[in-house]
Amino acid sequence: MKDRYYLGVDVGSASSKAVIINQKKEIIKTSVIQMGTGTSGPKSVIDNVFADTGLTLGDIKLTVGTGYGRNSLKFADKQISEISCHAKGINYELKNARTVLDIGGQDVKAISINESGMVLNFYMNDKCAAGTGRFLEVMARILGVKIDELEKLDESSKNPVTVSSTCTVFAESEVISLLSQETKIEDITRGIHNSIVTRALALLYKTNMEEDFTLTGGVAQNKGVIRALERALNKKIYVAKKPQLIGAIGAAIFAYEAGEERG
Amino acid sequence: MEINNIIDYLVKSADFPGKTIKESCKKNNKEAVGCVAPYAPEEIVYAANCIPVGIWGGQVELTKARTYLPAFACSIMQSIMEYEIRGTYDFLKAVLIPAVCDTLKCFGQKWKGTSEAIPFVFPQNREAKSAEAFLESEYKYIKNKLEEILGITITEKALQDSIILYNDYRAEMRKFVEIASVHTDVITPVIRHKIIKSSYFMDKKDYLEYIKELNKKLRLLPANNSKNKRIIVTGIMLEPDGIIEYFEKYGMDIVGDDLTHESRQFRTDAPFSGSALNSLAKRWTNHNACSLAFDPYKERIQYLVDLANHYKADGLVIALMKFCDPEEYDVPLIMERMKKENIPLLVIEIDQQAKSFEQINTRLLSFAENM
Amino acid sequence: MSIINENMTSKEMLDILVNKNMEDARKAKAKGELVCWSSSIAPCEFTETMGICTIYPENYAAVLAAKKIAPEFLEHAERKGYANDICGYARINLGYMDLKKELDEIEFPLPDLVLLCNNICETLLKWYENIAYELNIPLLIVDVPFNHGEEVTEENIKYVEAQLYDLIHQLELICNKPFDMDKFQEVMKIASDNATSWYEATSLCSAVPSPLSGFDMFNYMALIVCMRGKKECGTTFKKLKAELEEKIAKGECGLRGAEEKHRIMWDGIACWPYLSHTYKVLKNKGANMTGSTYPSAWALEYTPGNLYEMAKAYTGMGNNLSLKGQTDLRKEIIKETKCNGVVMHLNRSCKMCDFLQYEIGKELEESMNIPITTFDGDQADPRNYSKAQYETRIEALVEMMEQRAQ
Repeated sequence: MKDRYYLGVDVGSASSKAVIINQKKEIIKTSVIQMGTGTSGPKSVIDNVFADTGLTLGDIKLTVGTGYGRNSLKFADKQISEISCHAKGINYELKNARTVLDIGGQDVKAISINESGMVLNFYMNDKCAAGTGRFLEVMARILGVKIDELEKLDESSKNPVTVSSTCTVFAESEVISLLSQETKIEDITRGIHNSIVTRALALLYKTNMEEDFTLTGGVAQNKGVIRALERALNKKIYVAKKPQLIGAIGAAIFAYEAGEERG
Repeated sequence: MEINNIIDYLVKSADFPGKTIKESCKKNNKEAVGCVAPYAPEEIVYAANCIPVGIWGGQVELTKARTYLPAFACSIMQSIMEYEIRGTYDFLKAVLIPAVCDTLKCFGQKWKGTSEAIPFVFPQNREAKSAEAFLESEYKYIKNKLEEILGITITEKALQDSIILYNDYRAEMRKFVEIASVHTDVITPVIRHKIIKSSYFMDKKDYLEYIKELNKKLRLLPANNSKNKRIIVTGIMLEPDGIIEYFEKYGMDIVGDDLTHESRQFRTDAPFSGSALNSLAKRWTNHNACSLAFDPYKERIQYLVDLANHYKADGLVIALMKFCDPEEYDVPLIMERMKKENIPLLVIEIDQQAKSFEQINTRLLSFAENM
Repeated sequence: MSIINENMTSKEMLDILVNKNMEDARKAKAKGELVCWSSSIAPCEFTETMGICTIYPENYAAVLAAKKIAPEFLEHAERKGYANDICGYARINLGYMDLKKELDEIEFPLPDLVLLCNNICETLLKWYENIAYELNIPLLIVDVPFNHGEEVTEENIKYVEAQLYDLIHQLELICNKPFDMDKFQEVMKIASDNATSWYEATSLCSAVPSPLSGFDMFNYMALIVCMRGKKECGTTFKKLKAELEEKIAKGECGLRGAEEKHRIMWDGIACWPYLSHTYKVLKNKGANMTGSTYPSAWALEYTPGNLYEMAKAYTGMGNNLSLKGQTDLRKEIIKETKCNGVVMHLNRSCKMCDFLQYEIGKELEESMNIPITTFDGDQADPRNYSKAQYETRIEALVEMMEQRAQ
């Protein structure tokens, strides 16, 4: 019997992700492009995910699109919100996960899920970008460092400061004034990570905060943020293996479920 | 006691509220009851043999508060929410919460601490004769609640005694701000603020003694001829202290205030009346020129002009509590009037959680330079 | 001779009447008669009896916002010094007032007096203070204390009732003529009947499928706000009821060109600048808004002539209730109108709508197992809304509703 393939594509604000799985729910190929909606990112991620697989879009039985730019994926058979896809994706990777915190480029979401990956409730940040991946980008720019240098800086912080402003614009001026007071850049970095976690916690506390707790999203690649979260919650946190891909995996699973159930 | 010792004592009391309250309770063998923000009938609490404690938030990092309040709730309520979740207020026997604005209306319904919340509401149509009777019924409800929680009876005599003490306290405070305005070398803006603030954490009877003594001593000092600018501050409150320090740094004395946290608290006495609760109700219906009490003629604006004239002020600063509706509506009208009166005006935004005040710093500096 | 007749549809009546009300005010103003601005759930029975033309800033601000011309007024108010987090309706109205006060003929004539009832929020106190102060006109208030306990207390009702008598006296002084008690009796009967007709028509949303979309109800609301004291208002709602009953008989739903697959409760004020976007996103998912707090908000029923009951109706309405009262009200609405999801509008303009939302939502979720989503928006300021955010959250809500239905 011929293999059947399913594609999940997650077009976010800052990156595009794609995952191909087969009828055994095995991941065949994944791809991440650091360019999001409104750029060539979505196209490249599709080209990329098919490269070296010998497959083409024509071999895909069903495609599900998700993410901020999901509506631009004209070839997708179905669009499903990133909330449901994250829940589904994390359930695939970690059956026991019941609370998911996703820190993406534009959004922070806290999702409660049940044993089959169904969303019980979810809470998201308000329109303001504070506490998101974008916030981290802005802060890195002010500190004059690359975004992936932040976790290293964070490690050597001895006297972390508090960044208390609730809005990116104000946090910006707060950080600038900290720099002008010659506060150590390591300590500001830790302060920024703590402030991201503080904001995320407000959403997290709205859920029922079940024991098995998972962090996903692009920002989960930053160990400084992970450590800040562990300090705040005082427990070990499971970080998705490929945190950025969870939404796309969920989309692929949805495609699989629709395709296999339809027969 | 030397004047410096009195000042030191009161300043320290304001700096360590928790410790001050505990000591005051122990010394007087009393329990404490919280009063969220302004105008709770503290006299009833006092008559219940408890120390009324003012709850006005503070500089605290918000972690859990954001779960229960959107970002556009004022920072006082954000910090109070944070403290109540952390259990900071759980030692209080009860907490009074007045519904003076939409935020406080909601706030009274969602107290997260373990002490019992007693929400109540002020009538706003204070010219209506029926307003007093309504407020008396609210106060009766508070009184009954306290009696129930504390297992005591609050007598009419205790209420009357407490009103007399509070009227004395208010009169003495009004004297204090008058006298302090000519001794700004001793009573600097930070000290003035802390002396007034410390009243929220101790037995009024003890506090009154300190203030009386302080007033007596201050009177004996020669008036200072400060060349500093003379400033009036209006709003809900002027905090964190970091902001007040800039006033000092830039040579601005605070000679008078119209802050809810400070002078508005002791501006209006409870007049004599047949019953204590009626006296207290009259105190509210007589309380004018305040953003939180319905003010159809905007007496507050005239009051600010009068205050500025009385203290020969060089300028007015509105300490605008961010996201405080009642205050925000008054701002454009005050701005317009001050322009007409030629009184320099500066609006600064108050955010209790702020740790750096670069923007305010710059604005205060240029205000001081251009007055 | 009425300007509407039985042969018209309720929608035609609505359009004619809403225009007429404002035109009457402009005519009155031109003739030198009194015009009153009033808050949306204030006792209109009194100014109506006195023959004072009464118009409603909240309604007009919503109209300007829906027409997408609000920013001019919002920005003018902000230039005057109003903070941008103040209620959008108030900013539009105060901006409008300031921009137009020198002009002779304006669409929404300036008032000679204002009347407010704070049963919906305390913000009105400050907003109306400012109108009265700037225009130097009388300010009438019916102060309705917040019901912080579970019961609407006797003392609260009595305080409000006493103010209703004060109001009569104040109006006599302003108009320099006696208050006509016979006419008052008549007006009270009309207003109370209209309240019933409004409730009877809008509560037909409980039919499956619902013959009325809540978004259409938002439009009909203009009439119950602006003309609750006039007979034509009731005529229109009776007609609406008949039309809806006909649709129910035919099994038609209120969504235009879509089938009703889901029923949601909308918590909060409409997002006027994006009314059609908020509607279409729901409609495309087959979600019909069948539940909202509005049908009961104007169901101000009392025995005509009984001011005690009238006071109780005004002070006991939904927005003025404790957390428990507000939660119970919503549980009732969800049950009555058979909703399986809730959309909560986190409205930057309205603290009263927002600050209990989390507690209300938790309780609804826990006791009714109903999925909920919130979105950021504003009743009037277009800057506080994001289309993409709304779409995602509605999609997620619908997905949750579908999963639970399985």
